[in-house]
Amino acid sequence: MSCEKYSGWMNDTALGDLRAEREPELLAHAMECAACREAPAHARAVHEFVDRGVESLVAGEPSPQFATQLRRRIGLEAEQIRSPWTAWAPVTACALALAVILAIMVARSPVHNGSNPNVAFAVNPISAPPEAVSASAESPRNVKGMEGKRGGHTRAATTTLEEIIVPKGQLSAAAQLISAINSGRVDGNQFLAAQQEYEKRLEVKPIEIAPREIPALDDVTDKPTGSLQF
Amino acid sequence: MDALAASYPGSAVSQDESLAREFEQRLADCPKLAYRVALGVLHITAEAEDVAQEAMLRADRNFHRLRDRERFRGWPVRATFRLALDRIRAKGRRDRHEHEATRATLNAQPAANVENLIASREVEREVAQALDALPAKLRIVMVLAAIEGYNTREVAKLAGLPEGTVKSRLFLARKKLAESLQCLVKNTPAG
Repeated sequence: MSCEKYSGWMNDTALGDLRAEREPELLAHAMECAACREAPAHARAVHEFVDRGVESLVAGEPSPQFATQLRRRIGLEAEQIRSPWTAWAPVTACALALAVILAIMVARSPVHNGSNPNVAFAVNPISAPPEAVSASAESPRNVKGMEGKRGGHTRAATTTLEEIIVPKGQLSAAAQLISAINSGRVDGNQFLAAQQEYEKRLEVKPIEIAPREIPALDDVTDKPTGSLQF
Repeated sequence: MDALAASYPGSAVSQDESLAREFEQRLADCPKLAYRVALGVLHITAEAEDVAQEAMLRADRNFHRLRDRERFRGWPVRATFRLALDRIRAKGRRDRHEHEATRATLNAQPAANVENLIASREVEREVAQALDALPAKLRIVMVLAAIEGYNTREVAKLAGLPEGTVKSRLFLARKKLAESLQCLVKNTPAG
């Protein structure tokens, strides 16, 4: 039992950490116990073994490529730091792809591919088919003025320059009207009001028929029969 | 390894040139120290190199954040130790069966002196496993103390701990290691 107690003290002795007041007691026990006399030497051997064992574990030099590899990795890291936009590369790629898709959709839309004959005519009046030609009006006032005349043939292709489809043979008349409105010779508002008045639907009123008066026999004989009044 | 620090000027990494220069100056023997710390934890040279390089990269990346530049030397050392522990955890524990087999082989061998034991490959593995079994706070002081015989004050500076704490932890670590390994040096005369 006492040997177990002193074995810990032996360890402390080997580590040089035994309290001074314990030393006489330990020595007295070592004089009596042969096993404990050898214990300090064993403890010292163990601790030497431990220290040298751990030293051998951490001994050694890195390989000759260590410096090169470290330099290369630091260089790669520096490259990434110098080009921070690379972090945005996926976002940029997505934005570009979206832009390409939008461009394709716009290019294929009917406004630009010529599938709508009215718009195509507006872009190039010279190539317009004989059925219709276009005229352009720069002011909304003029457009309003023309809308009533052209009925359902008008279509605005752009926001800045509105186009009016004019039936065949009326292009020169429309152009003259536009120039007259622009020059002020014709009041657009008045023209529009007149057009609206013109386009008003006619009211159908029932015909009032007055009851026929039957003249006296004496009068019939005096007047002709074709002068009846309604 | 000192050539490593000398070879840095051509590959300055920090955006701030003065910081880069200061980093190079303070880099002198850190990679070697970091490598040894990593080796003390991982026991595999290739992995120790990888972890030491990673720690040096982090040190370079965060050098501008370091307030007390005089304590730079301990910084990558502690980072290396943490990274090495993370690597160990990621890999999982070593095969227990292999450990038991090694111990049985050693017990069957005739007693040898300390020199012969140290030279033995199996004993090296035993010491490594005993070291791995230590708590991290004891292990780092033990490893640092074993590197080029650093004294308590130097270990305290590197580990960022008070000197008294290092002393007590070193004592505890040695004691635990001795308890684990004393069977290997049973009846072995010192020296």
